[in-house]
Amino acid sequence: MSLLSLRDVHTFIEQFHILEGVSVEVPQGSIVALLGRNGAGKTTTLRTVLGLNPASSGTVTFDGLDITEQKSFDIAGMGIGYVPENRQIFAELSVEENLRIAERKKGELEEKEEMIFGLFPDLKRLIRLPGTNLSGGQQQMLAVARALVADNRLLLIDEPSEGLAPVLIEQMMDAIRTLSEHTTVLLVEQNFIVASRLAQHYVIIEEGRTVKAGEMADLVDDDETIKRYLGAA
Amino acid sequence: MSTETSELTTQTPDSGSSKNRERAEWLQENRVRVTVLAVLIFVFVVALLGLDRDDWFSTIMQGLSVGALTFLVVSGLSLIFGLMDVFNLAHGEFFMLGAYLGWTAYTRADTLIDVAIPMLLLGAPFALMPLWRRIAAMVTLAGRARKTSAIGAIVVGALTAFFTITRFPLVIWDAENFAMTPTNMTVQIDLGTLAPLPAESFSGPAIVAILGVLLGGALIAFGFSVLRKPGMESGAIDMKRLATFGGLIVAALVLHLIKEPVNEWIFGLSTTWRFFLSMGVSVVLVAALGALVEVVLIRPLYDRPIYQLMITLGIGFILIELVREVWGRPEFTMARPAAFAGTGEGCPGQGLGGFFSGCSTVEVFGGRLRVYNEGFVVLVGIVVLVGVMLLLKRTRLGMVIRAGVEHPEMVEALGINVRRVFTMVFALGSGLAALGGVLAAPSIGLSSGMGAVFLLGSIVALAVGGLTSFPGAAVGALVVGLLQQIIIRYGQVGIPIPFVEEPFKPSPTVVPAASIVVMVIILLVLPTGLLGRSEK
Amino acid sequence: MTSTTLDQSAGLGDWLRRRRGLLASFALLVAFPFVISIIVDGQGLAAVVNNDLGNARFLQGLAIEVFILGIYAISYDLILGVTGILSFGHAMFFAVGAYGFGILLKTFELAWPVAVLVVVIAAIIQAFLFALVLPRVHGITYALVTLGFASVFWIVIQSSDLADYAGAEIGLQGVESPAWFLDTTNERFIFYLLCLGIFFGIYVLYQRIVDSPAGRVFVAIRENEDRALMLGYNTFWFKTLVLVIASITAALAGMIHTMHQPIVTPNVAGLFWTVTALLVILIGGMGTITGALIGAAVYRLLEYYLDRWFGGASGLLIGAAYVLLVLYVPFGIVGTWRARAVRIKQGRDRLLRLFTGGDDGRTPARE
Repeated sequence: MSLLSLRDVHTFIEQFHILEGVSVEVPQGSIVALLGRNGAGKTTTLRTVLGLNPASSGTVTFDGLDITEQKSFDIAGMGIGYVPENRQIFAELSVEENLRIAERKKGELEEKEEMIFGLFPDLKRLIRLPGTNLSGGQQQMLAVARALVADNRLLLIDEPSEGLAPVLIEQMMDAIRTLSEHTTVLLVEQNFIVASRLAQHYVIIEEGRTVKAGEMADLVDDDETIKRYLGAA
Repeated sequence: MSTETSELTTQTPDSGSSKNRERAEWLQENRVRVTVLAVLIFVFVVALLGLDRDDWFSTIMQGLSVGALTFLVVSGLSLIFGLMDVFNLAHGEFFMLGAYLGWTAYTRADTLIDVAIPMLLLGAPFALMPLWRRIAAMVTLAGRARKTSAIGAIVVGALTAFFTITRFPLVIWDAENFAMTPTNMTVQIDLGTLAPLPAESFSGPAIVAILGVLLGGALIAFGFSVLRKPGMESGAIDMKRLATFGGLIVAALVLHLIKEPVNEWIFGLSTTWRFFLSMGVSVVLVAALGALVEVVLIRPLYDRPIYQLMITLGIGFILIELVREVWGRPEFTMARPAAFAGTGEGCPGQGLGGFFSGCSTVEVFGGRLRVYNEGFVVLVGIVVLVGVMLLLKRTRLGMVIRAGVEHPEMVEALGINVRRVFTMVFALGSGLAALGGVLAAPSIGLSSGMGAVFLLGSIVALAVGGLTSFPGAAVGALVVGLLQQIIIRYGQVGIPIPFVEEPFKPSPTVVPAASIVVMVIILLVLPTGLLGRSEK
Repeated sequence: MTSTTLDQSAGLGDWLRRRRGLLASFALLVAFPFVISIIVDGQGLAAVVNNDLGNARFLQGLAIEVFILGIYAISYDLILGVTGILSFGHAMFFAVGAYGFGILLKTFELAWPVAVLVVVIAAIIQAFLFALVLPRVHGITYALVTLGFASVFWIVIQSSDLADYAGAEIGLQGVESPAWFLDTTNERFIFYLLCLGIFFGIYVLYQRIVDSPAGRVFVAIRENEDRALMLGYNTFWFKTLVLVIASITAALAGMIHTMHQPIVTPNVAGLFWTVTALLVILIGGMGTITGALIGAAVYRLLEYYLDRWFGGASGLLIGAAYVLLVLYVPFGIVGTWRARAVRIKQGRDRLLRLFTGGDDGRTPARE
């Protein structure tokens, strides 16, 4: 069954109708890529799941529970981790504090330490530095690591490869593959190559609507769809 | 691609040269900031050296004292603005209210107890909120009729509460009757002749008053439950809530029965103990008020910042009018506690040890200081500074606050209830302002305009230090305090102006203007203040 | 819709027809003292012209206060409501007019047209001072800097150093009326008509300004300054223009105030006087121009009658009314009425957008 499902979700930001009918199914244990052009509504979809931009109609269910009208911190507390676009690292906090703040139970960071530093060995070295001193790639790793501290069953990851050098993209993809062994992932990705190599399923959003969804394996061969909705890929 | 990898490698500590380069870059980026700071320090030093008399030390200490009071106001202002972008223009009035409540707890504890009894009763029905919500869910009205009936319930409840609270016994000062004025009571406490006033009794049957207040509270609570969106989780009426409800009522009744011995006991305490007690009472009450204001008035407006600004103005205005109604318009002072009021033999104390001699004044480095103003107030200011810094740096709450200043939404997305943190910070800031108010009461006295004066000083301090920087707020408060005292001192001796025979003597009323001019200059040169972060 | 070309081609008749509401209220206000004189005082029509004591005379005085407040508030509406500049120093604009005019007449004994000219020049210089800091500081910081300016003025004007000129804490008194038609004591009806005329003149002028091409740029600055900049408008000069217009208007209100009141107190330079302007346009409806005038009438009459009925507690009631207004009627009388009656959703949304999501009001992209 689906761990997360959005059914015909509409969302307004101020008076702008951003999502005009988005439906997404995220099966347990899979990686689903949310695809679409710039401005299609991918980020807003993630934010709607978290209640940061609440849906005005439609339903969002997580693990069988209706979370459409729940408050953001309650939704996150149910086990959803968020890696926002532009990372949102706390610049004034040290790397350790950036991880510590994500704890929902005391001592969680110590439990997960080995796993997190296994995925991102750089962070261990930088643990005392304030977030503002980190490079873009390091910040991206910290943002993913931060979402791993608490026991999350679902990760919402927004543009993990954005602005990263190819070497770091490979490292990031390895990390996402590794963590998806325990966690379900909903991924927003502009880079189709990255998305196609990571995800098993895809959902395409166009002008705030879900237009196509299915198996990633089928999409890779479907040049017409790729050209039509994702531009030249 | 090369930039990313090179950034990774520069982190390795290879040599001292990169460190030097970093320092040079920092200087380059902050050269305006460093220059302004240097100019400020230079001006202060020259101004202090320019004082002919040997009183530069006392000038500094007086500056620290004003700075400490300003700091207590500005610390809350800075935390609230930094975390939730609310510029609380009522903060000066929280300071003022703190002073008046502190004076009341210190001088007229019996009045406070008399007021507390009906307030406990009024609050008791709110403990049963789930019950009201459940009843509200049965109300079948919808839309406008629902809203109207809810507001009707609140208004009827408020009127019921108002008219029954006035039936409760209340001993209070009277601004019209000289023997009973607050001023006279302060004189009495100095002479040690102040005693509890003879207790009043209920007007009319006590049971009517008590039930009326409970009914009023219940109606208000019910009205608010009807106003809330239906379908929200209502919670259960568990033992805890019932116990709170019962406990509040029992506490009120018991307090009523034993209030005379309690009054005797409080009035028998030394003024020093009463002073510390009143500090606690005032801080707790104003912090609670701050939390209430945040939840009821500020919270609905987080998406309309300008209206938020306007509503804080309105709250300040209401508080000033309230203080004028309750305590009267004439200014009065608060008696200094015994520990700082010693005179006679062995006084004034000598040297730094003199601060602990129990004298009211002390002579240090040839200047005479007041132990309370320049000793105790400064000490409390430093303790609060260190305390809040520790809170911010060492606790989880502090970590959440520092993170929330930057990305409140991200903090929420991590599963943290940011709204609750907002309320706590608002309460904390209000409490700190109230602490400043109680401290200021014995030194500068109480007036309904004191809040506006300190708010002005705090705005200057905040702008000078950087709007969202807590250490900046402390530095700004220090600058404001020192600046004001130096100008006051120069107002006494005069500033020699070239080619003019008569030295210019600014009148004391112009002093705040000078610090505002400094603020405007600093803001124009450095829009982010001395320690503020540059725009994101 | 009220473009200048249309006005010229349609002629006077059409203008009168479109402005019939305005003209009717003008006529009503001219007749108002006579009506009161006959009905309430039981005096004749001549009593008004002869300046006899009575309700008619008193209510004219109250109406003049409304006009002063209205002119003052309309200038603040142009700054805050129309252009979206958050200035907290508006009282200074008024006080410079009030104190400046009074001191020039009393101490320097200038002829009144010269004094008016000097005050207008001072108002322009002052507007440039406020404009000078615009490029440096934005939003709240601008509010603080302007609050700082006004506070300095407020402190200096009531300091004992200037007691000979401004009368320290008590205020400026003993300014004699320089011309017969500026004499509120002896020629109340003439002064009333003069104020009424200025009041309506300013109103029509402001509506023209807001409807003009420049006025559209003001609104564009409020909506989205970056976009206005991209369209090629030098927003700095437009904002300076707004400040100059508002400064002169507020100074005009201040000058009438000096003529009408026996004492000009330092209160008119204080923060509370700025808050009063804010309150007035909030009651009337921010950014609507008409709202400032209606708000002024409601505010002044409410204040007067609350004070009469409740005495000392009236301040508390005004404060409570203000808070409830901010919470529940954010668009004011005119704003709410327009939204209800005409259902112009867009205008309301525009206002909403101004006060939601900060001061940039940019259109969010989908991502």
